[in-house]
Amino acid sequence: MSNLDNDIAISLKNVTKTYTLYKNDRVRFKAIFFKNIKGKKSNAISDLSFDIKKGEMVALLGRNGAGKSTLLKMITGVTYPTSGEISIDGRVSALLELTAGFDGELSGRENIYFRASLMSMTNREIKDIEPDIVEFSELGEYIDQPVRTYSSGMKARLGFAINVNIDPEILIVDEALSVGDQSFKKKCTAKIHELVEDKNITFLFVTHSTKMAAEFCTRGIVMKKGKMIFDSDIESAIDFYDDMIEKEDEAKKKKKAKKREERLKAKKEVIG
Amino acid sequence: MEILNTLVELLNDHIRYRRQIFKLAKSDVIKKYSGSALGWSWAVIRPAITIFVYWFAFQIGVRRGRPINGYPYFLWMISGMVPWFYIRDSLYTGSSSIRKYKYLVKKIKYPVGTIPTFVSLSHLAVNIVLQFIMLVIYIAYGDRPDIYYLQIILVNIGMFVFWTSWSLFSSMLSAMSSDFLNFVKSAVPALFWLSGVLYQVSRIRSGFLRKCLLWNPVTITANTYRNSLIYKKWIWETPTEMRNYIIITVIMIILAVWAYRRLKKDIPDVL
Repeated sequence: MSNLDNDIAISLKNVTKTYTLYKNDRVRFKAIFFKNIKGKKSNAISDLSFDIKKGEMVALLGRNGAGKSTLLKMITGVTYPTSGEISIDGRVSALLELTAGFDGELSGRENIYFRASLMSMTNREIKDIEPDIVEFSELGEYIDQPVRTYSSGMKARLGFAINVNIDPEILIVDEALSVGDQSFKKKCTAKIHELVEDKNITFLFVTHSTKMAAEFCTRGIVMKKGKMIFDSDIESAIDFYDDMIEKEDEAKKKKKAKKREERLKAKKEVIG
Repeated sequence: MEILNTLVELLNDHIRYRRQIFKLAKSDVIKKYSGSALGWSWAVIRPAITIFVYWFAFQIGVRRGRPINGYPYFLWMISGMVPWFYIRDSLYTGSSSIRKYKYLVKKIKYPVGTIPTFVSLSHLAVNIVLQFIMLVIYIAYGDRPDIYYLQIILVNIGMFVFWTSWSLFSSMLSAMSSDFLNFVKSAVPALFWLSGVLYQVSRIRSGFLRKCLLWNPVTITANTYRNSLIYKKWIWETPTEMRNYIIITVIMIILAVWAYRRLKKDIPDVL
């Protein structure tokens, strides 16, 4: 790798993610052993390339099924790209979905130790940050109860508290901020601002709420059907995204109206 | 060659995540028994009941209380039965370990290849407690511990390597298809009854069948355990068994590495 791009945190080169769909589980199982059994292929991400610099705050915008979550999973290292290359420089802390990898049988506190140890922190280091996490999560005495008894809001709070307190270099948040009440949201916002401004972390944020995106991010990437269709500063990205959604919705409405008209016509003809 | 590279990759993952593996094994053991009133005693009660049932059927029923080589049938049986409990756990729970720890695959970055290892480790830890209880029973019957007792450590290592490889192989395939998991579960009784846990393989009349059963890892483990406790034989004194065990272990490791290589990238998408 070249040393020139030292300030790049995340780099994607021609990344494609293909999901192979089989008729059922049995065919999928057969396909493990026989190469000639082919499934239907569909691309969740196709030929995507971009770089994110260290310290950048990027929002990923796009409708459902645009490939945002798949992309985040690949950056986190949970899934693998089918082809292409992803290089990451720095410790990734990711909050994918709400439950974010908790063991339901362990208590909140045990989960703190467990998750932090997966980020290769030592017990002593974890002990140092444990009070911060407990306090941040506002779980009080629930922290020693098994996580399976938590509500989704509590899980999200704990997940968020762990992820922002384990000293991340790249922070990835997927929709998790949409839960919790106003005051907790405010606290998270403040914490993220603090991390970004003081520690110069890289922040990647997936959301449907353009308001939240504008609050946190400076750069916006709009995705559609697995491709990047817009990449610019956040204001233009949001304008573009809102515009796109409006147009799409209008087109859909028109289509529907047209269909209805046709149906009415057909009916009239029958009656007539 | 590629298989070798993957094997190195797997071993590297194990070394890098060794602390986490032991942690996860520990929490797996605790999870198994916490939350029930009798807690830890279940680890002993359940096998004890199983042993009692088989002892009753064979001692009181089939064999009419005849001892084997001067050893009471009960003593002879438990030295095959106790290691079998670990094997049974590997077959049932080991095969579904990746499914069980789905969140480690789908939600956080964690080396999938080490999941069967810590599950296997947790089974072994529980089983070692049982083995100690068994040794206490032997000593209480008047057996004198000698140098051959040390061979038990070797039996455990052999067992762990084979069944952890097996768990990796079968849990990878089971994650792809629940049919495979069901197939494994239905094959467990066959593996048990066609082994030398409850009867002496050496007394089977057909030489061909005797040879076949000596390829069953369950038979070899039970025999080696008994060689250490009862017959006082070193493993090299039974070269056929030793050779067979090494061969099937190597095959199992190759299969496990192959399955890992083939499916590692698919599993997070399918699970």
